[in-house]
Amino acid sequence: MERRTFLTGTAAAALVSQMPITIARAQDKVIKFAMPQDFTKVYTFVTAEYSQGQRDYISLINARGGINGYTIEADVSDHGNDLPRAIEAYERAKTEGAVLIDPLSTPVARALVPRVLEDEINMVTAFSGRSDAADGTAFPYVMPLSPNYWTQAGLLIDYFRQKDGDLNGKKICFVHIDTPFGKEPLPILEKLAEQQGFELVTFPYTPPGNDQSAIWPQVRRARPDWVMFWGAGVGQTTALTEAVRNGMDMSRMSSSVWISESDMEVAGAQDVTGVLKVEPCASGRDPKPIQDILAEVVEPGNGAGPEEKVGTSYYNYGVMITAIIIEGVRKAIEKAPDGPVTGPWLNDGLHSIRDFDADGMIPPVTITPEDHQGGGMARIAHWDGEKFVADTDFFTANQDVVWEEIRKYSEEFKKTGE
Amino acid sequence: MFYRRAGIRHTRYQDERQLWPLPFDRRLAILIFLLALAAPFIVDRLYLVSYLLPWIIWSTAALGLNFLMGGAGQIHLGYGAVMAIGAYCSVHMVRAGVPFEIAMIAGGLLSAAVGMIFGAAALRVKGLYLAMATLAMQYIVDFVIIQFPAISGGTQATIQVPRVSFLGVPIVGDRPTYYVALFVCVVVTLFMLNVRRSSFGRALAAVREKDYAAAVIGVNTFRYKLLAFWVSSFIGGVVGSVLAVCYYRAISPDQFHLDLSISLVAMVIVGGLGSVLGSFFGAALILFAPILLNQFVGFLSSEFGLAITSDLRSHLPLMLYGAMIVGFLLWEPLGLAKIYANMRNYFLVWPFRHARQ
Repeated sequence: MERRTFLTGTAAAALVSQMPITIARAQDKVIKFAMPQDFTKVYTFVTAEYSQGQRDYISLINARGGINGYTIEADVSDHGNDLPRAIEAYERAKTEGAVLIDPLSTPVARALVPRVLEDEINMVTAFSGRSDAADGTAFPYVMPLSPNYWTQAGLLIDYFRQKDGDLNGKKICFVHIDTPFGKEPLPILEKLAEQQGFELVTFPYTPPGNDQSAIWPQVRRARPDWVMFWGAGVGQTTALTEAVRNGMDMSRMSSSVWISESDMEVAGAQDVTGVLKVEPCASGRDPKPIQDILAEVVEPGNGAGPEEKVGTSYYNYGVMITAIIIEGVRKAIEKAPDGPVTGPWLNDGLHSIRDFDADGMIPPVTITPEDHQGGGMARIAHWDGEKFVADTDFFTANQDVVWEEIRKYSEEFKKTGE
Repeated sequence: MFYRRAGIRHTRYQDERQLWPLPFDRRLAILIFLLALAAPFIVDRLYLVSYLLPWIIWSTAALGLNFLMGGAGQIHLGYGAVMAIGAYCSVHMVRAGVPFEIAMIAGGLLSAAVGMIFGAAALRVKGLYLAMATLAMQYIVDFVIIQFPAISGGTQATIQVPRVSFLGVPIVGDRPTYYVALFVCVVVTLFMLNVRRSSFGRALAAVREKDYAAAVIGVNTFRYKLLAFWVSSFIGGVVGSVLAVCYYRAISPDQFHLDLSISLVAMVIVGGLGSVLGSFFGAALILFAPILLNQFVGFLSSEFGLAITSDLRSHLPLMLYGAMIVGFLLWEPLGLAKIYANMRNYFLVWPFRHARQ
């Protein structure tokens, strides 16, 4: 074949691949979600498992006949954390009539905020995006549906207080990646330090955090009572490795939701026994939704990915968020069974979620037009060498400080975000 | 045949020196301009806001960088930072109530000033060393934006762009934003096309070929190197503010990281160093090839039931993309613009085979 013929053929095929979007698929009982996520660049540490959980849960719902005859269609694609690509995916989703988008990327979520507010399409920003989006009055269509980083920091501090009785005079080290994401909890920690009388020492490391060897000897010398390390992906495993090397007490090390079983394997599963994390939902395969997925989706061979990933932390996050979304769909259908299926329709449903706990897998979540965080509940778990074991029940703490911060920024947004 | 030269006689010097001496070229340029003007009314909204708009903005940025890299021969690995300065400066000014037209120019001026300071390194170092110096600019600007909440906008590090108007027209909705970006793009394109015919452009070309040889023939290299950085950074700053106002509408530091700088350099090199047309081709390829390849692979896997895992499904387009870049550089190292020039030369004498040009 001539090179030119081949090139022309490829170009023609590429053009043809554009066609299906203009042919509207005339199925009325379909609810479309768009899930352009970062499978290839920055969020690779979480996306594959998270998306697998999402797709498996949607398969479970569809296999059971959908919700009131509505089936869910999730369009999963890769945006590579690249904004023009993500915006293209968003606009395409909008054209195709998607009512919800879950980009799972903070930069993308931030860039899409003005668009979703204008277009009235629900954007899920679980564990990402703007923390102040918890204030639904300022961000009616931005849905974190999960405890934000301020809440997670507040929960950890409260756990330390529960353990030590009183934090007065204690020293807490905050080791964080030197980006806006890493610095985000600082205002909350500073306020709590003032209130509760502990000393806060911060150690920023340069992104992406694959070299922290200069930081951890300083952390050791500071003789902290508790350590919080705040990063994502490679920064987390490096932090753990360096902490082990410097002989830190692992049962006094803690982090946000961004630490998983595979991070522990990388750092040495036995060496990091005792490390604490914030768990927004139950991990492992015991929760009922995971059992259902195993029996009804994975068993018949319809799983979206490798079976051994089912029940990992990030897989369960995906199931958790999708379960909340589906509950929102259910509520929306209850309120307006005939639709029409639009962004505001689903928004109304999401706002009507009351004490939904996915058969005990997640804390009771209540979403209101004011509170998009869902109550800000999570639990603290520790690594026992093989898996994460819950130390507490689902609880919430320090929400007054957190909401003060949320309102500070959402007011600012309301003023100038127009 | 198509680019017919037979029977066209230039009887005055200015005819010969026109931008497009051949009527066919001229008509083609006018046609494309008219199509660009009419685009909001003839193409689907999706293609307007997520293809055409980013394309013209990125092309304008690539033009600004091409002025420096192709025109003056100075490499710049921190062009994303230049755009960031322009974007942040103009957005902060707009938020303070300054009209957008002035804020855009001010953003360009601040970028030009900062860009020229770092460009001063070019007076002493060349090639890879200059690349390192400009790379340092990228990191320093990133650092400054992130470390000063007053610039980045606090813990959320995002600043919303308020609604502004341009020459009395509010920039709201798809069409006005497109036209503002197109306006800036046309102005920059005309500047780029004309600068090569000016003494400024010729001086830069002399500096590009060999700076001390240029000095020997009387070109003040000190002045022209700094001017090259000044002009290029000014364009970068203006494009940065257009990008913020017309496309992102909310700016955060990660939009202007090294990724942006590298992709702009890639656009310039793949498109063709020093070529105006190449900047447009390069921007189109670098921006859209990943998207189209992704959809292509997705289309294959969904419509033909190609059983591939989701990992491969998301990485296959990347492999194809990489192969494509390598392929272009192997087959036509002079860039996409050269491919167009080859086609043009072919048609110039078609049906005969050889064009001597």
